[in-house]
Amino acid sequence: MFRIKHFIKQSWLLIVSAFVFGLLIAVTNAALSGRITGNEEDELNNLMRSLIVDAKDFEKVIKEAQIPGGKGKVNQTDIYRAIGSGNRNVGFAFVAVGAGFADKIKLVIAVDGDCERFFGFKVLSSNETPGFGSRIKEDEFGGQFRGVPTSVLEVVKTGDVEKIDSQIVAISGATVSSEAVVKIFNTYIGEIKRQLQEKGLISNGK
Amino acid sequence: MANERSNSSAIGQTLIAGLWRENPVFRLLLGMCPTLAVTAAVKPALTMGLCVIFVLLCSNIVVSLMRNLLKPHLRILMFTLTISTFVTIADLFLKAFQPRMSETLGPYVPLIIVNCIIICRAEACASKNGLFISIIDAIGMGIGFTATLCVLAGIRELLSTGAVFEIQILPLGENGGWFTPWAAMSMPVGAFITLGLLLGLVNIISRKKT
Repeated sequence: MFRIKHFIKQSWLLIVSAFVFGLLIAVTNAALSGRITGNEEDELNNLMRSLIVDAKDFEKVIKEAQIPGGKGKVNQTDIYRAIGSGNRNVGFAFVAVGAGFADKIKLVIAVDGDCERFFGFKVLSSNETPGFGSRIKEDEFGGQFRGVPTSVLEVVKTGDVEKIDSQIVAISGATVSSEAVVKIFNTYIGEIKRQLQEKGLISNGK
Repeated sequence: MANERSNSSAIGQTLIAGLWRENPVFRLLLGMCPTLAVTAAVKPALTMGLCVIFVLLCSNIVVSLMRNLLKPHLRILMFTLTISTFVTIADLFLKAFQPRMSETLGPYVPLIIVNCIIICRAEACASKNGLFISIIDAIGMGIGFTATLCVLAGIRELLSTGAVFEIQILPLGENGGWFTPWAAMSMPVGAFITLGLLLGLVNIISRKKT
């Protein structure tokens, strides 16, 4: 009995404070969580819309698709279908994540309605070196992915950036960041294609 | 009358201490992590400074109010609990109303929890003084920290992009001007060099004064 009394006497302030502060955080979170989720959805929608220009709306067709990321890691992502005029399927988009030079790189990747060609990508978040790796956001690098067949991509150090093929010319001084982006594409696209075929959302090409 | 004067002088001294004599960055060398990490541009530096002011103010108020109830062996735990609550709230507000800036600052907002300035002021001032002095101390220290971050960020942004607060000041070479952006200034190396030079300058000025 003495021990319990001693414990309460010593720690009542901590227990009460933890309860009050927890409540304060819970109330703030409840008040702002809708807005925070809305912001994230708006950002994603804007990026997807900028990649798939014919899209009028987006519909989540596969929730939490499992993407093996190597070394036993599994990434989860939602796959969105872009709906064009007349309820036409004009493309698919998904968020893809991979290790960059300094931190994780989070991309939004879009493909056409048959999942045969890439529409391109936009950077959702990255922390690459300013002036070097940060140039993955620039059109000179991103433009190389536009219209490329959805096969395995390869990074080359020199080449023609205007040529649309599976060879992606690395950014000078930022080979690691360029390779990271291409690796993200290669990790995701095969599995995304397989899952879309499995769901009957694209033809299986046979 | 003399008592009133000494009171207002103490308040003035507390407020000014954070700006120069006990400036958290230049004189106490506290809060180095955000000082180096978020000063590549003025906007993130200012946002970080405002977040620190908010957390410092709230934690000083709470710690000062509960100072007579604190058990010596639990005080650091109580400070950390208080600080982490207000940092979480600041982080949620930033995510809700400034999502882009929240993305830019990344983990450095949650890392305010381990910012030594806040725990130092809770220990050195708020746990020993009344509410009014604690508030004044938080404002002084917060403004001192924010101003320092902004000065550092202003220099780095100007040299790395030719702009301050995203307003172009130096004409860029690619637009026919003379200025070539110094990319290194937006990288960690730029942060260390600028901070080192500013620390040297502050030391020279303060040595001349004494």
